[in-house]
Amino acid sequence: MSLEEPEPDAPAPVEEQSPDELAELLGDQVIGREEHLNAPGYVIRPDAVQDVLSTLKNEAGYDHLSCVTAQEYEDRYESIYHLKKFDDPTQEVSVVVPADRENPVSESAEPVFRTADWHEREAYDLVGIDYDDHPDLRRILLPESWQGHPLAKDYDQDRPQVVPLRENANPLQEDHRGEDDTDTMFLNIGPHHPATHGVLHLKTTLDGEQVADVESDIGYLHRCEEQICQNGTYRHQIMPYPDRWDYISAGLLNEWAYARAAEDMADIEVPEYAQVIRTMGAELCRIAAHMLAVGTFALDVYGDFTAIFMYAIRDREKVQNILEDLTGQRLMFNYFRLGGVVWDLPEPREEFFEKTRDFLEDLPEALEEYHDLISGNEILQMRTIDTGVLPPEVAKSYGATGPVARGSGIDYDLRRDDPYGYYDELDWDVVTEDGCDNYSRLLVRLREVEESAKIIEQCIDLLEDWPEEDRTIQANVPRTLKPDDDTEIYRAVEGAKGELGIYMRSDGTDKPARFKIRSPCFSNLQTLPEMAEGEYVPDLVAALGSLDIVLGEVDR
Amino acid sequence: MTGAVPLQQGMLPDTIANLLGLNAYGVAGEIVAALLGAFLIANFLLINTAFAGPWAKRKITAAFTDRIAVNRIGPFGLFVIVADAVRLLSKELIVPDGADRPAWDLGPLLIPFSALLGFAVIPMGSGLQLADPETGLAFAFAASSIASLGLIMMGYASNNKYSLLGGLRAVASNIAYEIPLIVTGVSVVLFTGTLQMSAIVEAQQAAFISVAGVTIPQWFAFVNPFAFVLFVVANVAEVGRNPFDIPEAPTEIVAGYQTEYSSVYFVLIYLGEFIHIFLGGAIAATLFLGGPAGPGPAALGIVWFTAKIWAFFLFTQWLRSAVPRLRVDQFIEIGWKGMLVLAFANLVLTAVIVGVLA
Amino acid sequence: MIGILKGMATTMKHALDGKTFTVEYPDVAPEVSPRFRGVHKFSQERCIWCRQCENVCPNDTIQIVQDDQRNGEQYNLHIGQCIYCRLCEEVCPVDAILLTQNFEFTADTKDDFVYNKEQLKNVPWYKGIDPLNSRNPDRDAWVGEGDGEIDYQ
Repeated sequence: MSLEEPEPDAPAPVEEQSPDELAELLGDQVIGREEHLNAPGYVIRPDAVQDVLSTLKNEAGYDHLSCVTAQEYEDRYESIYHLKKFDDPTQEVSVVVPADRENPVSESAEPVFRTADWHEREAYDLVGIDYDDHPDLRRILLPESWQGHPLAKDYDQDRPQVVPLRENANPLQEDHRGEDDTDTMFLNIGPHHPATHGVLHLKTTLDGEQVADVESDIGYLHRCEEQICQNGTYRHQIMPYPDRWDYISAGLLNEWAYARAAEDMADIEVPEYAQVIRTMGAELCRIAAHMLAVGTFALDVYGDFTAIFMYAIRDREKVQNILEDLTGQRLMFNYFRLGGVVWDLPEPREEFFEKTRDFLEDLPEALEEYHDLISGNEILQMRTIDTGVLPPEVAKSYGATGPVARGSGIDYDLRRDDPYGYYDELDWDVVTEDGCDNYSRLLVRLREVEESAKIIEQCIDLLEDWPEEDRTIQANVPRTLKPDDDTEIYRAVEGAKGELGIYMRSDGTDKPARFKIRSPCFSNLQTLPEMAEGEYVPDLVAALGSLDIVLGEVDR
Repeated sequence: MTGAVPLQQGMLPDTIANLLGLNAYGVAGEIVAALLGAFLIANFLLINTAFAGPWAKRKITAAFTDRIAVNRIGPFGLFVIVADAVRLLSKELIVPDGADRPAWDLGPLLIPFSALLGFAVIPMGSGLQLADPETGLAFAFAASSIASLGLIMMGYASNNKYSLLGGLRAVASNIAYEIPLIVTGVSVVLFTGTLQMSAIVEAQQAAFISVAGVTIPQWFAFVNPFAFVLFVVANVAEVGRNPFDIPEAPTEIVAGYQTEYSSVYFVLIYLGEFIHIFLGGAIAATLFLGGPAGPGPAALGIVWFTAKIWAFFLFTQWLRSAVPRLRVDQFIEIGWKGMLVLAFANLVLTAVIVGVLA
Repeated sequence: MIGILKGMATTMKHALDGKTFTVEYPDVAPEVSPRFRGVHKFSQERCIWCRQCENVCPNDTIQIVQDDQRNGEQYNLHIGQCIYCRLCEEVCPVDAILLTQNFEFTADTKDDFVYNKEQLKNVPWYKGIDPLNSRNPDRDAWVGEGDGEIDYQ
């Protein structure tokens, strides 16, 4: 977004409330105040969650429940609701809900924000807070037979989790689900199914060939990345892991999420030169990720192993070669460091610029081919237009972000709305489509590839002319990083799939006390039942493909 | 036909009987000659399938997707056919718990059987035709649709919900597209006035138009291109290829009716599917492309015929590379509301053309 | 209909131009870029046993055993567990451990992937390239210490 030329029909600035105004609005429901680095925090009674959130949503305009973080202190449990505005994500507020140490019960936010459903289930699963009034409080990532809550303080790491078979349902037993209603048929789609893009399990109830009900069963790829990060040092050991959340070549985007949160937390200034390199690398990753998304979506709709998938992979391969030259790895880059990047551009620089330029030059032709093969194809249009419809209000309630939200006409892109890196200096546009259907989401991705190419081109120009003596790639960062005790921050970047946020709380050591990942795929996947119910099985598959989930990021 | 009827003149069994002097043995000789003929034709088709399945399909897909395909074993990677055969046949045959046994075993047999049966009446040129009954065309259609029986048997007997969905889809699609297919076929019969395959081929020998010394024969594809396009589309649907591969639909219902089959049965299903494609091509060639007709001496007929059925095979693969699959309801809708109407419109159109030509 | 035909024309164009983008892998060794990170190589002659690599490793891939005089006895690295983040190479002050571009390794069991210092020493260079050259120019950025306290082991 260029700052120089204001848009002719620029929307009116979003009304902003000061922390005190908000406190007044909430009245005596607030029992304390906290200061988070990103937002004011209001401590409220555990039985006033719905009141407070609906007041904030309806009267103050905080319509985006970005994330729910649960954690355990020595003396209490705590759930933090990170609220934002879709119109202006820099306006943030944290609603802190303490719960009793012995009997952690807190009111559910699900009636206000649908997205709280899964987030609170996760909090229950990993930390062990009970949510009152939650429609379906079960474990979500771990199996039902799991003993204890892994992120709770009294969790016994050494306790064997292998439970006797009798405690688990016999997987081979006769399945009578749905038999009392003889009009429907229960069908397991996945966890091993060609179209679930990984180990996702959809418990589907079919009425004929139409989907009467679908429920996602996730967690097959759960590794508790949050705990892994809590065991790593800020300075080095966390950075390799973000690559593994959204592992479909969106690594640099994920690394940036962590880098941004940690840099803001420790107050590290990143040199401008490094910001340009980061921006370029991140957009290259976005192209690679969108290429794969488009290719696999085509695969889901076309059926067999088709040409378009291979063409997308071929073009993605070019991006990956560039990224390999830059970072030394094809997927697991570990290229960012706190305060910059690890390497300058590869020598000879001219060769790197030329290679990247060649790719950008060939890109319009490749995209033309995609349009011929995919978006221009009448059968594909028949298949995707008006299927998997996700109205904007529903998308907002579920916290959908990224191409999924932009395909529903929600003009929300953190690169522009909450600028970081070098984005606000560059000239590019946020892509939105108003169709709300599978086709719109496909178009958004295809058009975003063009926008990313524009950004990369500008970055290349900048890097080419950058004075040699001014090429600082890393700020001076202490070898051991110990942010101040009890600092809390929630920061998000625009990942390939949407808003990828990190919440961190420090306890004065060199490792985070709580590390929470707000995964865009996790929230986006929640919308699947809304999109698929009443549609045919092929449309369920297409809707899933258009969500472009990566199970590594859903399950973390 | 009863056994007492002497072998039809010019048919393959007759040729064999003459060649081997089997005529002296009466009915027994005729049966032996007929079996030998069927054996020859079946093997010819199986060889074609062997080339098409493990080798040509991979090569073609690779060409469409910019890849290198099978090229390591033997010249042009051709020995992969042998390797694949050994691999597939030596795999374990897994029988699902609760499979409905006789039906589960019969299904995979029915598919290649029905497709091979259809070839009994196809004139392949160079004197290769097993029989030439007066109801030839009806026989070919009838034989090829036995396959749907096999599909639903497999789908039902596998005790798998995906298979069941696939089986049901197969039946729905076969019914929806068989009717337009046959009605379009009938429009050719309006021209020829007979269902006999050799007569249909014969009727296409005459010259249609002569332009600048090049004579275009009176193939029905040239006489009525609209019917030809309709027929090819319905044919692709009938043999279940993209964009109409609804019964298999790997990304939706995994592989439909064939989900539970492995090893020998898997091979049989695949053989059946490929022969079915060839049969579809053969019927289309006979009805619309002059059968084995082509430049050069009549002895080259089998070469032209093979080229035509391979062209149809290539066409299905081309579609596979570029055309998305329809949704099942759209597919059925196009069948009943689109193709059927067009097929009858074509019948009327053909009647008009016949009237004009006559 | 036009769209379908356009799509079919596109794939046919690709089929006929004869270009391929895959390589015949074991016959043709793929090009890797100079910065590519593969299996480690270790030099006992250079190593000063400072244990920084062991300390920085995010998932305990490196195990060092010293005697009571702090002389190095064992240097074990589980290349099957390694996540190839290259932090060990980055912290090493003497270039004793570095990641070659060799990405091919096989073993029959998981345990065989634990390389001791002899095995690590014998890891071959990929196409004879020393990757350090391409990564070297930027090492200074890390070696230049920050303002904070320096905790050498």
